[in-house]
Amino acid sequence: MSNTQPVTVASEHTALKARKVAFAWEDTPLHWVPGDPFTTHTINVLHLLLPAGERWFVHVYKQVLPHIRDDRLREDVIGFIGQEAVHSQAHDDVLPHLRALGLDPTPYTAQVDWFFEKLLGDRTLPPGKARDWWLKERVALIAAIEHYTAFLGDWVLGAEELDRQGADPVMLDLLRWHGAEEVEHRSVAFDLFMHVDGGYRRRVRTWAAAFSALAFLWQRGTRFFMANDPTLLDRRASFRDFHDGGRRGVLPSTPAMLRSIPRYLSRTYHPSQEGSTAQALAYLASSPGANGLPHPANGGR
Amino acid sequence: MTRPLTVALVAGGALLARRALRRRIGASPLWPMPALEEPVSGRRRENRRPSSHRVLVAERTEPAEGVVRLRLEGADLPPWEPGAHIDVVLPSGAVRQYSLCGDPDDRGAYTIATRVLEGGRGGSRELRERLHEGTEMEIRGPRNRFPLVAAPSYLFVAGGIGITPLLPMVRAAERAGADWRLMYCGRSRASMPFLDELEQAGADGGRVTVVAEDESGPPGLAFLGGLPAETAVYCCGPEGLMDAVSGALGEARAPHLERFTASAAVPGGAFALELRRSGRVLTVPADRSVLSVVRDELPNVSYSCTQGFCGTCRQRVLEGEIDHRDELLTDAEREDSMLICVSRCRGGRLVLDL
Repeated sequence: MSNTQPVTVASEHTALKARKVAFAWEDTPLHWVPGDPFTTHTINVLHLLLPAGERWFVHVYKQVLPHIRDDRLREDVIGFIGQEAVHSQAHDDVLPHLRALGLDPTPYTAQVDWFFEKLLGDRTLPPGKARDWWLKERVALIAAIEHYTAFLGDWVLGAEELDRQGADPVMLDLLRWHGAEEVEHRSVAFDLFMHVDGGYRRRVRTWAAAFSALAFLWQRGTRFFMANDPTLLDRRASFRDFHDGGRRGVLPSTPAMLRSIPRYLSRTYHPSQEGSTAQALAYLASSPGANGLPHPANGGR
Repeated sequence: MTRPLTVALVAGGALLARRALRRRIGASPLWPMPALEEPVSGRRRENRRPSSHRVLVAERTEPAEGVVRLRLEGADLPPWEPGAHIDVVLPSGAVRQYSLCGDPDDRGAYTIATRVLEGGRGGSRELRERLHEGTEMEIRGPRNRFPLVAAPSYLFVAGGIGITPLLPMVRAAERAGADWRLMYCGRSRASMPFLDELEQAGADGGRVTVVAEDESGPPGLAFLGGLPAETAVYCCGPEGLMDAVSGALGEARAPHLERFTASAAVPGGAFALELRRSGRVLTVPADRSVLSVVRDELPNVSYSCTQGFCGTCRQRVLEGEIDHRDELLTDAEREDSMLICVSRCRGGRLVLDL
């Protein structure tokens, strides 16, 4: 059985608590990775997806709470819900700033809102089997998405090339605070999925759905930003640009992303095997946004 | 069909399809998905509580005995409507709420007035002793939980410094040509601010009745029972006066009230909590939160940060006056919901949809 069960790294567990954050966006430029609109907008897609997406996580998890029969997992889920709710709010606050800079995100976000609120929302299903199935399906989807948020969080914590490129400190702090909390709570969604269902076929099916959806939403998001950026003449966006960004270290690299796929599909996979809780906690202890400190480059708030 | 023709047709078809797709994605970024009719994302910040502003005490006067009036000048101050109040952050960090009593058309400044209470919590004394002309300070708001509704006629009942939110209402009613009356009660004429201005405004037709207790004793409110139904009644003043007005109006109608101090139950004190759907009535003692009391009964109620910022524990309130202590909800959300981890009840009873 040893090669068919998830292998947990117990030392990576930590108690979870939502942190109150504050970010001042007034001084963040449109191209916050200077001179690199493609990278800027590829990462900006997070602000399009996360407000609605993480609101949906919270909505689904509130419904799962009564089904949890393990006290530690319940505590983890409660902490997870608060962190996700604050993430959603923090990214939501970036959107008016983008609008003020001449890049109105509403056409895209209104459709993402529909995607999470309607397509993935509560269906009018009879109580019982059908409703349970849909809840389990969504819990499994969230576990698959969290595999990628943890991957991205781990990446951004170590993405020193963004610092070298002079990326805006407030935006970097938002991404790294968020990334660090994603790493910190990376096991919760998977543990919850294993607790309420854990079926391997469901894991594979929902991974495929989540991966396709993310790829679809992300490429459309990048295209949307590039096409509507008022300052750009060359509005094209291609996979090649993404691959190049990965090679330069300003975006996650394509090979690393491909390698993460079989890991999630392995029967012994457990999120605690990837990323470092210690690194995440170290960042969280020093993050200006999470500790109420001014961002140095902005001369305080 | 010949081979070159097939190739040309397929290539042409592909080109047309690509163009059609591009056009659709250009108009609808996530085509073929529809959009949510009322988008949610990106609206949080604009709906949130107004941000803070730096203001300068430009003028300080004493319009009556023991009353301090401050004119606070600032740039880009948000517009406000009669009945609005602001949060004033005092030098000690304490936050107090004051009604705006100036002119809403004066966009460069807010005016507040307060009676200095020697036995109070210290806010008004600090305001008198530490805020002088030239002092810079922070305010938040404005917000309005005492808005002036449109009505053909109004009766305003003010008790002492409770005149402050009613003063802009009187001016607005006068300007709108409404039929208004003001009953202004106080201990003595010398202690009642803005008397001159009000008596001037109401000079035609005796709209203003001044009841100074040292001259004419306590106000007679029996006439309230005979008011026409379309008259909107606004009252701000001491608890006793507001209770008397509510009582005199009778069961069937409620006056619009603005409380400067929390009602009889001390804020933070114990109160009754009804969970309507579960059909249970609990008691929230002074030293426990609503959330912790609810959790004893309903262990699966959702919550997380327990500090009033994540919003997970928001619940619908069916009855009762909420003492909001969170930092998250918008004014519209505050109307009928609360974060049960930090917020409490101003009155003696709260009913949740749980």
